[in-house]
Amino acid sequence: MGSRRQFIVQSVGAFAGFLAVDSIFSRAARAASGVYTAGSSAGRCLVVVNLQGGNDGLNTVIPYADPNYYRARPSIGVAQSEIVKLDADLGLNPNLADLKELFDAQRLAILQGVHYPNPILSHFRSTEIWQTAAPDRYVTDGWAGRYLDDAQLPANNLFKGVAIGPVLPKMMIADKTDVPAIADLRTFGFNGKRDEQRQADMILNGAADLYPFESPYLSLVQDVEHDAHAASLQLPQLVAGYKPAVEFPKTPFGQGLNLISAIVNAGLGTKVFYISLGSFDTHVNQRQRQDSLLAQFAGGMKAFYADLAVHKSDDRVVTMTFSEFGRRVEENANRGTDHGTAAPMFIVGGGVKGGVYGDHPSLTDLDFGNLKWHTDFRSVYATLLERWLGVSSTPVLGSAFPTLSFVS
Amino acid sequence: MSADQSTVSQYRPTGSLDPASALSPYAGAWTPKLAAHLLRRAGFGGSSAEIDRASASSMNAAVDKLINFGPDDLPQSPDADLSYGKGVPPAKQRAANIAMQLWFLNRLLQTANPLQERMVAFWSNHFTSAVGGGATPTMLVNQYDLFRKFALGKFSDLTHEVASDPAMLYYLNGAQNNKKRPNENFARELMELFTLGVGNYSEDDVRESARAFTGWTVNRATGEARFVPRLHDDGTKTFLGQTGTFNGDDIIDIILRQPAAGRFVAHKILQAFVYDDPEPELVAAAADQFSSSGYDVRALMNTLLRSNVFYSPRAYRALVKSPLEVAIGTLKTLGATAVITPIDGAIAAMGQIPMHPPNVAGWPGGAQWLTQSTVLARLNFVNRVINMNRPAKTVGPNAGTTGAAAPGPAMSMASSTDWLGGVAMTDGAAVADRVLWLTVQGDATLSQRGEVISYLQTDGVGNPVTLNGENIDEKIRGAMSLAMALPSYQLA
Repeated sequence: MGSRRQFIVQSVGAFAGFLAVDSIFSRAARAASGVYTAGSSAGRCLVVVNLQGGNDGLNTVIPYADPNYYRARPSIGVAQSEIVKLDADLGLNPNLADLKELFDAQRLAILQGVHYPNPILSHFRSTEIWQTAAPDRYVTDGWAGRYLDDAQLPANNLFKGVAIGPVLPKMMIADKTDVPAIADLRTFGFNGKRDEQRQADMILNGAADLYPFESPYLSLVQDVEHDAHAASLQLPQLVAGYKPAVEFPKTPFGQGLNLISAIVNAGLGTKVFYISLGSFDTHVNQRQRQDSLLAQFAGGMKAFYADLAVHKSDDRVVTMTFSEFGRRVEENANRGTDHGTAAPMFIVGGGVKGGVYGDHPSLTDLDFGNLKWHTDFRSVYATLLERWLGVSSTPVLGSAFPTLSFVS
Repeated sequence: MSADQSTVSQYRPTGSLDPASALSPYAGAWTPKLAAHLLRRAGFGGSSAEIDRASASSMNAAVDKLINFGPDDLPQSPDADLSYGKGVPPAKQRAANIAMQLWFLNRLLQTANPLQERMVAFWSNHFTSAVGGGATPTMLVNQYDLFRKFALGKFSDLTHEVASDPAMLYYLNGAQNNKKRPNENFARELMELFTLGVGNYSEDDVRESARAFTGWTVNRATGEARFVPRLHDDGTKTFLGQTGTFNGDDIIDIILRQPAAGRFVAHKILQAFVYDDPEPELVAAAADQFSSSGYDVRALMNTLLRSNVFYSPRAYRALVKSPLEVAIGTLKTLGATAVITPIDGAIAAMGQIPMHPPNVAGWPGGAQWLTQSTVLARLNFVNRVINMNRPAKTVGPNAGTTGAAAPGPAMSMASSTDWLGGVAMTDGAAVADRVLWLTVQGDATLSQRGEVISYLQTDGVGNPVTLNGENIDEKIRGAMSLAMALPSYQLA
């Protein structure tokens, strides 16, 4: 906590002094001046999509040539004729048809059989494991948060990481970096003009001054209020020059990707984005819900990369999906599936070497009815950290993991 | 791994616990600040008058009043058409949902039994359910009545009741759990989130107990739970080391004989009412009492709300207010008499859709409440509500120049001069102190107090202003809005 508290005092000092002499937007301009250098990892960013609730990998990337698939999925199996075939064995759920173009352009890598040692079938602990990259211990910060703390990014940039949605995911929790969680740009700000300046002063002036009580949450509240005030004044100005080149889907997921594209194209220097889609917790009537969510995902990705391409930014944005776990191989009695283990991940973008990586886990050699994983998710993170973001992965992940070849 | 480990956070208060005296009765000074603390934790905050009454009595009398409640005279269910499901137009279904939420919120605001309603909110975030997947607003209303009935009852009784509650049967797929193909959802969450915590059972225990809970369904016509013997698996199960032809009630009894159950629930209650990440010694002491009393929640709350640890500086303002606490507390402070739309939507913007937890784990609370978006929504909420009963003359061309929030529907609450509570309006310092008492019970820094005084005594560009009948309404609203933007206001 020491480092966090120190950071608050410093940033408050800078902010307060600046308020006295200039308008709010000159600071914004400074933040925006630390923009990327094309061609180096400095301008690259990572978008993480959480398919939350446990996406059924087996109905996402389908081993359609394996008769065991249809034996395990008599009512919810996807018919061969509907599958978007990638090769002689493997195909995509038809609702992912929009991804086929990216696959054919070698901009989609599919990593099969990814999970972590000693799988846990709890949504919450498993989500925490994916977000902290710590399957064997409990930690308070997230893996992207640790990266942002260590990445030597400009200290005055309030947008090093951005989470879409009202909740700050554990992945983005850092010791020194306060990542904004933005539900919607239109509501990200004070609705009343009155006393805005004073509200800021009130919030800031408390920091250096003594409260009549101590609270473990006091510095966090001050920090978030301060940064929310500053970020909400800056962001609309910073992205004002961006105009979407395509129509994004009108879903919250599509609109969230639109905001990410705005921030990417405004060149704010954001390194990691987070957005979620769900819930994929399909215990009952899986096809209906999963199909609709997968269509939202693929439609969003298609619009996102089309928009980035028009703005000539597609080469510096890689998107990675994850879900806390895949689901049971055998369907249950309610045309759904229960919690499982290993599942595929999608890696999309200009820096990606497209194709299928790793074998599909066996549908018969199972662990209590669940797929056996063969690729540790931390190898995927290590690859993105080392080969895409250009940093050493060991400090972020706690130890070294072999990198994979899906980044060109 | 135990429940204690899984919730390690950096938000345990500094300083150290004296385990020997932590749960002993508090015998220190009874101050207005501690009375307000009690009302924030054991309810949704106090109005100015409620804080005065509690602080004028003794700590024991104030706790007695909270704990020994009788029946209330508020509606048991919403006075609205709650038709829901197939064949009901979407607009009607939305209206039913909103009526349900407003019923719940109004009970929180209007109740004479704040601790009972506080426990309803607690249990509904423990035994989570939500409308959808078969569960209707009527089922949720009935489930919340169950939480109200068992608010301070036996946790064991409540757990048995919840296992066959219609909303729960739908929410965790118990209604689809049958002999032929068991559905593990309820069995898993029962152990993981409701009673034991991860690490105190195996995957085999999940599978076996799911079989024991088979056979419960919901009659769609009546909305009532029923047990269908032919769907129940009456075979032998081995669960937590015991073997027998167990049914769901047997499974719950076995679970509640585990020492982990008392620790898990005591930990959660301490975290909700005292402070975050309570020390294992404190959890153990509370759990011992809780388990040996047969999971008597009233006895546990009686101990906690009178304890040294509860009134210690380590517990004071040590928790983050939930959006419900911000909303209801603000309305009480402002003297509002009812919750109306759009307050329900504004609470959702702060990150808490009333009666609709994000997932089966409920709202995690603490630091999770505080993101840049939700903090802005909190400031916007208070700003909006403070301006919801503006006198007609200030709504007009000038409203925009003062930056007031757009006037919403008329809201019944005290007037801005009522908020002053008799303080001389011309005395800027006295008005500021009154505002800071109403909002944060004086928990502001000297410079924050200075800012409020300066706001009251100057105009927007620094010229001196004399408070008078013309400007006082605008100035009090502004000062209240500033005070409710203070970091202290976000802390319970």
